[in-house]
Amino acid sequence: MLKFEDRSVDLRPGETVLEALERAGINAPSSCRSGNCQTCLHRAVEGVPPPESQVGLTKGQKALGFFLPCVCLPPSPLTIARPDDVGARRDAVVREIEPLAPDVIRLRVDADDFAYRPGQFLELVADGDLRRHYSLASHPEDDPFLEMHIRLHKNGRMSRRLGEFKPGDRLHVAGPSGTCFYEGVREDQDLLLIGVGTGLAPLYGVLRDALKQGHRGPIRLYHGARSRDGLYLDDELKVLSRTRGHVDYRPCVLNPNAPAGGEVAATVLHAEQDVKDSAIFLCGGENLVKRLKRDFFMRGASMKNIRSDAFTPSS
Amino acid sequence: MSSLYERLGGEKAVNAAVELFYRKVLADGRIARFFDGVDIDQQIAKQKSFLTMAFGGPNNYTGADMRNAHKRLVAKGLNDSHVDAVIENLNYTLRDLGVPEKEVKEVAALANSVRDDVLNR
Repeated sequence: MLKFEDRSVDLRPGETVLEALERAGINAPSSCRSGNCQTCLHRAVEGVPPPESQVGLTKGQKALGFFLPCVCLPPSPLTIARPDDVGARRDAVVREIEPLAPDVIRLRVDADDFAYRPGQFLELVADGDLRRHYSLASHPEDDPFLEMHIRLHKNGRMSRRLGEFKPGDRLHVAGPSGTCFYEGVREDQDLLLIGVGTGLAPLYGVLRDALKQGHRGPIRLYHGARSRDGLYLDDELKVLSRTRGHVDYRPCVLNPNAPAGGEVAATVLHAEQDVKDSAIFLCGGENLVKRLKRDFFMRGASMKNIRSDAFTPSS
Repeated sequence: MSSLYERLGGEKAVNAAVELFYRKVLADGRIARFFDGVDIDQQIAKQKSFLTMAFGGPNNYTGADMRNAHKRLVAKGLNDSHVDAVIENLNYTLRDLGVPEKEVKEVAALANSVRDDVLNR
């Protein structure tokens, strides 16, 4: 039994999921057709894909049901979706909206049955057609709400809309998406969390999840901001750093007199020379994420240990 | 006699080689510029398909895919000397992993067999 979204797909004995999709006329890209290139990646939203169809994927992807249709002969029923399918929109209600910094707000919304891992992101929908992605800083076991940290842009449509929101207002959420969460990390591994601006939101979620899951290895959290008031969780993270011996919070503020000018990427690359066995999380603008990913990889970090979430501005 | 892929150690050998190989490629000033701005995660998966093919492993290699994938790079000046550099890095990777010279040559020959497709000629 194979279903693609809502549609039943005929699966013949000995046929791979990719072959069945193609025979059904569903547009499914592929290239190597031997389980290597990951071009055909899909996600099982119901049912469990066989392990041989998940070889080479990250632990995070496996936990979310991602698999490779070109080498998947499912032994049991599967319902699958495209990898970027965020699923149905769900109702949400604004619970709280508070400033964290001059241009950053904390938005908390209530939504029923929204399962996620801290550090994943959701699609927030206002007025039916205004859609943006925001990372989740909340923890599903501790928080009854979904928490996002949102940078306000002067001329941004969503930013203007958010300025008008008040508790009780209705909107929609879809998702979650993304594999930037605490999965496949050894509890004694060095954990490096590196983010700029509201890239702190997913890292804060990951940090809380790591502590909850008993992470014992040293944790270093670097947060970069243009100025002091951009370090919007400074007080809380300083307290956490003092009370939890293995958590080290390292704020970086641009300052011509500071080492490396206070720039987070340069600071991190100077401080973190040996990353061969570290679990690394990178969240922020595309350039920062790409640069650090490449530099850490070249220093010997394995790509399976580097998780990232690059923010792209909406067009 | 077992196949080249089996002698090399199969999928485990590909996994052991792929990051070493790609690090050498990115560090090689002759060819690094062709990888500017690419997503490393996606590249690792693509390099894995390439190595699986070059190791004589299971693949559904099509010249068309190889041509399409490199068209943009040929327009940027990709030529024989760059293919040579990639194969050289592949040889170094295998030697680092202790692969015997006979197998290194066989892998190089398989990698070389896609040269014309890569260069779109």
